Amino acid sequence: MKHESKQKAEEHQQLAAKSTRENVAREFATTDELLRHDAAQTEVPPVIAERLSKSIEGLPGPARSWWQRIFDR
Amino acid sequence: MWSVSGTHLLCPTHMESIANDSVAAARPLPTPRLATASSPEFAELYDEHSRAVYYLALRYLGDPQKAEDATHDVFLKVYRKLGEFRGDSSFRTWLYRITINHCHNLQQSWNARHLVTNADEAIWETTPTQADSPLRVLETKELGQRIQKALDGLSAEYRLLLLLVADQDMSYEEVANLTEQSPDAVRGKLHRARKMFATLFARSE
Repeated sequence: MKHESKQKAEEHQQLAAKSTRENVAREFATTDELLRHDAAQTEVPPVIAERLSKSIEGLPGPARSWWQRIFDR
Repeated sequence: MWSVSGTHLLCPTHMESIANDSVAAARPLPTPRLATASSPEFAELYDEHSRAVYYLALRYLGDPQKAEDATHDVFLKVYRKLGEFRGDSSFRTWLYRITINHCHNLQQSWNARHLVTNADEAIWETTPTQADSPLRVLETKELGQRIQKALDGLSAEYRLLLLLVADQDMSYEEVANLTEQSPDAVRGKLHRARKMFATLFARSE
C-alpha cells in the first residue's frame, strides 16, 4: 500500500516536471539571435571529417608560406 | 499542435530538448575533429570553421545531404587553394566566398533540371509583419525545420544575407563585400528579409 502511494507520488512528480518543461518557452528578440541559436545547435556530421581525411590523404600539403599569414591574423 | 498567443509563437516540445535547454543555449554542440596527421594546421582550420560552412550550406541549400557534400568539397578546395589566400580579407570571408560560389553552382545545376518559381515579393510589402516582435518558441527538435521552411520561402539573396549577418564574425562591410554591394544596400535588403522571415516563421506552425 505504502509502495503504491509512493509510486503514484513519483508518477505525479514526473508528470508535473514534464508539464513544466513542456511549457518552458524560449524567446528570441531578433532573427539573428534565432539563427545563431540554430547554428550553435546544428551538429556537423562526423562523416564529413572522415571523408575529408581520406580525400586529402594522398594529396601534397598546402603551401606553407600562407599558413603563417592565416595564423597571424 | 502549434498555437499562437498574441504576437508570440508557442509550440509543443520534446522533453529532452527542454531538459537540456539551459545547457544547450549556452554551449554550441562540439564539432567532430578532423584527423590528419600530415597537416595539423588544416585540421585546426576545419575545427574552427566547419560549423559555419556546414550551417551556411545546410540552410542555404535546405538539404542535409547536399550540405554534407558541399562542406566536404569546400574544405577540399580550401586545402588545395590555401596558397592562393592573399589575406586581403579575413579567412572566414574567403572561406564563405568559396562556399557561396560552390552552393550557387550546385543550385544552378539543380535549377537547370527543375522548374523553380520564386514567391512574389510584392505580397510581403502589404502583409502585416512581426519583424519587431520577439520570436518566442518552445525549444523543440522541430525548430530547425520551422527555420528551414521560413528560409525556403525567401529569395536566395535574402536567405544568404540573413545567414551571413547572423554570423557574429561577419561585419556588414564584410557581408557587403562578399555579396558585391554597398553596406547600405545590405541594410535595406536585410530589413525586408527580416520582415519576410518573421512572417514566414509565424506561418510555419
